[in-house]
Amino acid sequence: MADRLDLGESAGGNDPLHVPVVEGYPMAALDTTLGRRLGAGFWVSVGWLVVIVTVAALAPWLPIADPNETGYGGRMDRPGWATWFGTDTNGRDMFSRTIWGARVSLTVGFVAIAAGLAIGGTLGLIAGYFRGTADRVISFAFFALLSFPGLVFALLIIAALGSSLKVVCMTLGVLSIAPVGRLARAATLVFAEREFVQASRVLGATHTRIMLRELLPNVLIPMSALALLGMAVTIVAEGALAYLGLSVSDGFSWGKMILLGSAPRTLRDGPWVVMFPIGAMFLTVLALNYAGDRLRQYLDVRELAF
Amino acid sequence: MRFLAHRLAALVAVLLAVTALAFGALNILGDPLFNVVGFIASVDCDAVLAGEIEDISGQTAGGRGDCEIVEAARKEHRLDRALPVRYTYWLGDIVRGDFGTSFKNEMPVRQVIAEKLPKTVLLMVVAEVMGVVISIPWAVAAAYRANRRFDRASTVTSFGMLAIPNFAMGIILFYFFVVRWQVFPSRFEDTDLFARLKSMVLPGLTLGLPLAATYQRLLRTDLITTLQEDFVQMARAKGMSDRWIMFRHVLRPSLFSLVTVFGLSTAGLIGGSLVVENIFSIPGLGRAVVEAVIRDDFPIVLGSVVVIATGFVVINFTVDVVYSFIDPRVRRDG
Repeated sequence: MADRLDLGESAGGNDPLHVPVVEGYPMAALDTTLGRRLGAGFWVSVGWLVVIVTVAALAPWLPIADPNETGYGGRMDRPGWATWFGTDTNGRDMFSRTIWGARVSLTVGFVAIAAGLAIGGTLGLIAGYFRGTADRVISFAFFALLSFPGLVFALLIIAALGSSLKVVCMTLGVLSIAPVGRLARAATLVFAEREFVQASRVLGATHTRIMLRELLPNVLIPMSALALLGMAVTIVAEGALAYLGLSVSDGFSWGKMILLGSAPRTLRDGPWVVMFPIGAMFLTVLALNYAGDRLRQYLDVRELAF
Repeated sequence: MRFLAHRLAALVAVLLAVTALAFGALNILGDPLFNVVGFIASVDCDAVLAGEIEDISGQTAGGRGDCEIVEAARKEHRLDRALPVRYTYWLGDIVRGDFGTSFKNEMPVRQVIAEKLPKTVLLMVVAEVMGVVISIPWAVAAAYRANRRFDRASTVTSFGMLAIPNFAMGIILFYFFVVRWQVFPSRFEDTDLFARLKSMVLPGLTLGLPLAATYQRLLRTDLITTLQEDFVQMARAKGMSDRWIMFRHVLRPSLFSLVTVFGLSTAGLIGGSLVVENIFSIPGLGRAVVEAVIRDDFPIVLGSVVVIATGFVVINFTVDVVYSFIDPRVRRDG
């Protein structure tokens, strides 16, 4: 039986980084009525992601307020024509801050999952292709990593190294190695038995060539869905760390904005200070979850059971 | 039995790996000497004691007196030994229940943990109870008229609920129930059992709602499958009421996946409770560890992390073993 792995259902759930270790249960309640179409919802989700990424990337050139300029508006202005999302206790423009906050949140999400794909993917490919001792060692490493509650692991690393953007990206990247690696291994195990791989081997291809030219393209397909779901998990995790005051001391993300706005007095006088970053994060996570889920069903990678 | 032995061996191996990871992270990535004595750790004591650097005791840091402190700390915490040796000693201490003392207030870490852990456990229990209590009627109602309006609406709701990060959910609940309507207290009230439970309602709900959403989706699917069975037709033909059929005939055989995920999500709650304790100011282990990280109180961090990680591993192990007794097929694959 292939390893079961679940990321989609848990994004935004209780331990955003927790991936169940036990094998053999059907967690994903797959909606089969939609069949093999991506559907309008998928494109709406992708549309939102494109908008938010574009806006975040272009933030320095957009005609918006300086996100750190105190007294841009009054203190705690309501959302309105002058300041669309209102202002915070220091009179900073929340619309501008929500866009600038996206930069950190999205960067962390992207870099961490890219690192996870690169390292976890490579290890999983090696484990699944060579089997034997390499597989046993790598699989145990994945198992040990998954045995550590994710957020607690992140706390530990940040306690030791401090909370710069680099450390946060690295920590969340390390945490995404195991889930990605397990899927890569499971996918490799399936494809390594196929005829086209055997044919390639008979023709005298080296291991490296088989892994890069035959296996990698096939393994990447199911991983694309996982990458979307994993990015949602990572963005939530960064948010949780930031809310605890333990993320990216050199800048601000949505999570940190939520922390700043969640003091009882601020919350009473200006709930919009937290609600807009929460809304932005919610929509982004929802879009990533939905797009990832649809993609997974579309690609029909259920044989790999993740 | 061979299966159990195999699993136990894996449990021990994973516990060793997890503790080594925790110990190693703080000792390799961080500077343990600095954590014990502070900034005087950077003094070049070999040079001072050898007389190569002038003794400037009494003026600034870097004198002979500081070096004695540093040397003493090095001895006391065995920092002059190799890392694996220190890990072994440390593990021995942990097994005997000695977690060291807090840097800040000299309290034994063991006492801190004993004081905080029950609140975290209570929170997790409340959350699980809420998750189950909400999800079962919800799933039954959704499956009863599958793919109709209520079912569709609840699928959308549960999908949305799973996309709300738990800290955001906590703040939204906090805003409405504490700040706006003032139904619940803003901090944890530890006066009597009723006050404790009342303080746990919102935190429990914060963790329980996403759980309920997960359970509902799962249980709904299984209920729909069970509803296709012949015995349901039979019961209906006998003229039993729909409510009786749903709760007495269909629910029980559909609970299987729920039971499994129930165990797994309990382990998953650990990370969530860490965040939620900080929103609702519950003096539990999660709050203690976050405070300790901010204050650089490493013995507390390490002690709490080891307890949390061990709990996590043991819960997962228990679920795994219990599951293998319910469904023997797992044993072959495991």
